[in-house]
Amino acid sequence: MGQLFLIAFRNLVQHRRRTLLLGGAITGVTLLLVLVLGLTHGVSETMMRSATTVSTGHLNVGGFYKVTSGMAAPVVTDYERVREIVKHQPGVAFVVDRGRGWARVVSDTGSMQLGINGIDIRQEKGLREVLSITSGNLDDMAKKNGLLIFEQQAEKLGVKVGDSVTLSAPTPRGVNNTMDAVIVAIARDVGLLSNFSVFLNNDGLRGLYQLNPHTTGALQVYLNDIKQASQMKPKLRQALEQAGYTVMADDPRPFFMKFDTVNREAWTGQRLDVTTWEDETSFFSWTVLIVNLLSGLLIAVLIGIISVGVMNALWIAIRERTREVGTLRAIGMQKGRVLMMFLIEGFLLGLMSTVLGAVLSVVVAAVVNALNQPVPSAVQLFVMSNTIRFLVTPGAVTFAVLFLTGCTTFVSLFPSFIAARMKPITAMHHIG
Amino acid sequence: MAAIVSISDVYKDYHLDKVVVPALRGITLDVHHGEFISIAGPSGSGKTTLLNLIGCVDTATRGVVSVAGQDTGKLPESKLTDLRLNTIGFIFQSFNLVAVLDVFQNVEFPLLLQGKLSAAERRKRVMGLLEQVGLANHARHRPSELSGGQRQRVAVARALVTQPQIVLADEPTANLDSTTGQNIIDLMRELNQKQGTTFIFSTHDPKVMKHAQAVVMIADGRITGRTTPEAAALHAAGGAH
Repeated sequence: MGQLFLIAFRNLVQHRRRTLLLGGAITGVTLLLVLVLGLTHGVSETMMRSATTVSTGHLNVGGFYKVTSGMAAPVVTDYERVREIVKHQPGVAFVVDRGRGWARVVSDTGSMQLGINGIDIRQEKGLREVLSITSGNLDDMAKKNGLLIFEQQAEKLGVKVGDSVTLSAPTPRGVNNTMDAVIVAIARDVGLLSNFSVFLNNDGLRGLYQLNPHTTGALQVYLNDIKQASQMKPKLRQALEQAGYTVMADDPRPFFMKFDTVNREAWTGQRLDVTTWEDETSFFSWTVLIVNLLSGLLIAVLIGIISVGVMNALWIAIRERTREVGTLRAIGMQKGRVLMMFLIEGFLLGLMSTVLGAVLSVVVAAVVNALNQPVPSAVQLFVMSNTIRFLVTPGAVTFAVLFLTGCTTFVSLFPSFIAARMKPITAMHHIG
Repeated sequence: MAAIVSISDVYKDYHLDKVVVPALRGITLDVHHGEFISIAGPSGSGKTTLLNLIGCVDTATRGVVSVAGQDTGKLPESKLTDLRLNTIGFIFQSFNLVAVLDVFQNVEFPLLLQGKLSAAERRKRVMGLLEQVGLANHARHRPSELSGGQRQRVAVARALVTQPQIVLADEPTANLDSTTGQNIIDLMRELNQKQGTTFIFSTHDPKVMKHAQAVVMIADGRITGRTTPEAAALHAAGGAH
């Protein structure tokens, strides 16, 4: 077997130009595959990190309060009691309460309909890490009318830090209320999430909606391990039910998509709802799906091209070495070993090229990440961040190397099989 | 003494489109252990076809070819390959060495295919043969770094490394100058005498066939006689003029 590897390796070296061309193509595809996997992973990770601080916890205990059957408000009444139940569950790291609302933000030059997140800045441990403040001060969110918006929103509204805007929203009682808020901070955009969300001081939000101080929008629950969210969800539901709360049927959608369903139901009063971060961000999954589909299509086309290249190269190699095959068969090499000899050539070419591609991809990813260059807003929408971030994992690198090496070995199978089937007499008398 | 190669009424036809070209027409031949035989005849007479049948790289259209007691017509492909590996050594007109392997590796290759010897045993045997063919100092050279005569010596060593009962050489001197060709034939003869290996080689060169113990004359796919080297050389030289 060692000799077959040696023959394969030396033949690759001997036909340096062909090997370099084909190996370069395989290296390029590997580089692209690892980067695409890194980008998808990076987008998912960024989305998870951004979403789980900007708009959702790992788990959320939210719900609806209905004064009449057709008027649902996304609030949790007497939330301190709920918080006590939640924070003592095993695996829970900390709990943050967030106000939830939907209001028109009006400036002197424009207006936008935006989701309002009510926050108590002292509780927000993760927000400082996720949001990059370009002007103003996040600590000023402690002011009752403090409002944090994102760059694109500031541009559309034509406002800067210190400017006032008016918030207008319907209260649970069915009347419209307004308040003046002051922009205390502007943060860098974080993709789709920052297109329709702003942050308002929680007390300010309660004032806007005329809610009492014991009411909040939802309790965002952060776990020691985010992967435990799905397992924790039924346990949390059970704990709340045991404490006497009515918990809504499991519905893996974000809260703002549930209004129609909840308003159609006859009940009134408080019902709680438990969701995971994946439920609350399920509407984002299309971005990951599109990135995956596009990259999958691109990779499939490239794999097709290199497969044809590898097959062609092996055909040429076999044609050039037909006499050698005949000689080896004549001196006693079995068909299986001939097959193996050419398969090894395809395998070695694949392995060496993919390893090189993987190394290059790690370097490229590291350089791009280090440059931290902002990307156009259209791209931001997909990558959920204002910069491209590749998250190249050992798993992705291993997958790319094994998958593409497997592909090159597989496409080598047919020409190798044809070579193995050649009769020694035919091969020996081949001219060419 | 039992024949190591026994050919009985063998025919071989080649099909070129719809035309059937008879290459061998009723050949019968016995070769005994330790013989040093030349198959002589003009180009197209069937020498190579006959060697191919003896070497189990081709099969007869009709008749029986028996090598080392085995009827090659009845053996499956894998058994024929084993027979070639263990019983027959080949020396080709164009040397047919593996270009990417060095001299040592080329000679060692059949032993690796056999898988019977340890690395140390293989090394000892290969180096012993390279000593015999005068190429011990060229063990790490690639075929492209050798002269034609040296390459053919490597081919001889490769043919003998498995200690085969028969060595077949198809025009082994055709691509060599006369002195080098002479040296190769001398080497083959020496190995035949020392080791008792049966050598069957084809040639149409009178100077080469005179070294054989016996010369099988072949023309138009038929054996025209088995004669002495001197008579054959005279016949060939006459034919040439």
